[in-house]
Amino acid sequence: MKAHNFLKKLPQYGLPIVTILLFIFLSLASPYFLTGYNIQNIARQVAPLAVAAFGQAIVVITAGLDLSVGATIALVSVFFAFGTLNYGMLAGIVIALIIGTTIGLINGTLVSRFNISPFIVTLGMASVARGIALTMTGGTPVHGMPPEFAMIGTSSICGIPTPIVIAFLVFAVCFFMLMRTRLGRHIYAVGGNKEASRLSGVKVDWCIIKVYLICGLLAAIAGIILTSRVRSGQPTLGDGYELQSVAAVVLGGVSLYGGRGNLVGVFFGVLFIGILGNGLNLLDVSSYTQQIVIGIVLILALIMDSVLLKQEKALKSAPPENTPPKNAS
Amino acid sequence: MANLLKMTEICKRFGGIQALKNVNFDLNEGEVHALLGENGAGKSTLIKILSGVYGASSGEIMYNGQVVSITDPAMACNLGISTIFQELNVVPELSVAENMMLGREPVKTFAGFIDRKTLRQKCKEVLKTLNVSLSLDTPVNKLNTATQQMVEIGRALLIDAKIIIMDEPTASLSEAEVESLFQLISDLKQKGVSIIYISHRLEEVISICDRATILRNGEVTAMCKKEELTLETIIKNMVGYDVEERYPKEQNPIGETVLEVKNLSSNEGLFSGINFEVKAGEVLGLSGLVGSKRTNVVQAIFGVDKYDEGEILLQGEPVPSGSVEKAMQMGIALIPEERKIQGLVMGLSIKKNISLPLLPRLSRFGVIDQKEEARVAEQMKNKLKIKAASLDQEVQDLSGGNQQKVVLAKWLYVTPKVVILDEPTRGIDVGAKIEVYKLINSLAAEGVAIILVSSELPEIMGMSDRIIVMSRGRMTGTFTSGGVTEEEILACAFETKGRC
Repeated sequence: MKAHNFLKKLPQYGLPIVTILLFIFLSLASPYFLTGYNIQNIARQVAPLAVAAFGQAIVVITAGLDLSVGATIALVSVFFAFGTLNYGMLAGIVIALIIGTTIGLINGTLVSRFNISPFIVTLGMASVARGIALTMTGGTPVHGMPPEFAMIGTSSICGIPTPIVIAFLVFAVCFFMLMRTRLGRHIYAVGGNKEASRLSGVKVDWCIIKVYLICGLLAAIAGIILTSRVRSGQPTLGDGYELQSVAAVVLGGVSLYGGRGNLVGVFFGVLFIGILGNGLNLLDVSSYTQQIVIGIVLILALIMDSVLLKQEKALKSAPPENTPPKNAS
Repeated sequence: MANLLKMTEICKRFGGIQALKNVNFDLNEGEVHALLGENGAGKSTLIKILSGVYGASSGEIMYNGQVVSITDPAMACNLGISTIFQELNVVPELSVAENMMLGREPVKTFAGFIDRKTLRQKCKEVLKTLNVSLSLDTPVNKLNTATQQMVEIGRALLIDAKIIIMDEPTASLSEAEVESLFQLISDLKQKGVSIIYISHRLEEVISICDRATILRNGEVTAMCKKEELTLETIIKNMVGYDVEERYPKEQNPIGETVLEVKNLSSNEGLFSGINFEVKAGEVLGLSGLVGSKRTNVVQAIFGVDKYDEGEILLQGEPVPSGSVEKAMQMGIALIPEERKIQGLVMGLSIKKNISLPLLPRLSRFGVIDQKEEARVAEQMKNKLKIKAASLDQEVQDLSGGNQQKVVLAKWLYVTPKVVILDEPTRGIDVGAKIEVYKLINSLAAEGVAIILVSSELPEIMGMSDRIIVMSRGRMTGTFTSGGVTEEEILACAFETKGRC
């Protein structure tokens, strides 16, 4: 019983430990790593990934998957830039958020109403969104926005970089939503067992639509932060975000089989990937090689997910006859 | 009869828990020997030792006069010990022949091609001995459960099984299919095959088995010969105390009509012309063979499936088609047939499972009142005597009986007007069954209208006030439960055309 509880919590404790070890290793390996400038740099880099990964996590808890996160960021980036150029920055932000939510709405509707695999739906959507972004811009970045355009990505609030403030706000809201609200409970229930949820009066379709919608909205927020940071609308922005967000989510102990996991784990997953990427940069590992590393990390995390699930099952089925105390009443 | 298998002084420990203690079990050639006990008594552990899944901590297994140690499932297979699990082990997309020969395909020595001719020849022979007419090329997913089971038995015979272990073989079979399974079992006996038979359906055990070994808490409490096998002795040895009555039905005053179903039909032609009413305090039994669409009718009432024609009235108010939420709000509750698939979210805690249908009432502006949630769960845990270390325990760690109580708890916090119980006692032990029956009584006493769907005739007959029999989506008979015989109900269940 004890071993089984420990195993279940292993991903939650294991990842922070590994992250800290990585942190210590990099501090020793590179003189540039443990500097105030670099730490702030990591934080700024990690914030948009965190926002996108929280959205991804919510989808994955319902046993779904959103591979259109990266492309959504690109399309949002382009609309944010064009919107700002034509109607001003506030309008640009609103348009960007609407674009992200719309993509989420379409994803969610296709997944729930037409019962298509989320993997295929969002992969197709990724191609569509990225294609639109490239068509609108002819493949080149959009420039000419006013200076305040860069504010969201580069300013600070009370000494804390704005992207980090945004990421923490998103974390707090999503955490509360998952842990304390009816929607949050429905998300875990649907991920754990759709049929039983439906028979308990949960509107499963709506729940799934909402989840993709939230994911699209958060991808849009991530897109706004990134676009503001690079001061241009980039049709190639967010490339690799789908994979990195999934990696962070799985590393963070959210099961791809649905119904399990929490955002604290995902937070550490994001941190791990951020620190890993930054460390590899400092150690002069090329960005090509970094892709290989991220891919391997993702696959390892998936193996861990599946092995842990199996172990848990094995532990449970070993003495199935003895778990409940029996007494005649 | 020669002795084929003798297990002596078998012990098995899992960590600190003694699952089996000095268990003796033996099996003669051509014998059907039942292994009985409540969930948790040690039946599965013993079977898993015999089939090589676990090793015994101590003890001896004699097989055909020789001491053997069965170290893995493949070895059990080679010895001729074959297990047919409750959840069948077939590959749905493959054909009958392919399934029967799976993993043992005869291969032409040259290049490893499958020798289709020999494969088919062998399968045909086996199916012939089983007296089943079945096309070898039918994909198994096109067959019903009973026929799939035949395919598994065929597979066992193909490896020349001497011992076939059947774990709850009749759990998802209809009465007719049970009959033909029993015929098959007696044919197998004639051929000298021995069968270890595990079942919760005690009437069946008495009719089919030559001997029975009864386990309780990992120890053998009795070994009965055929002539000693009675319900009373079996139950007494299983639960450890006398059970006065298996179906403690109480007569409650019957009140006004609560639910009326008028000429209900589904658009896919699953069922049609369903007419009945249930009154307050009444238990209406819904009987019929598997495939009689009983479940579809009750699911339509609860809004899981849509209905096409007809009307459902709850105290005169129409219940709309296809909305679980609405049906819930109006006071209908459905305890579904498949506890693990439809009733529970296995990875969530007891508390969260209980509160799932209650969330609208437990939350304000979408935020859950956690104190109230805990209080409700605690109250239901005590009321239904759910045995668990804590409310935060995941339901997958509970025994079948306790899981079923969690499903009941979900629906009984707010007393519903109509409770539909679809196979509420399937796969749970006698003690838990009686608790479910007592709960049905107390609900009826509170004036709840109850629909009890069950494949077990004694249960339906023992617990209902009135019985409706369905066959192929139609109602074929209505009885008041006093005085009706099993034969009368079965006659209606086999009918194809309605007479009401």
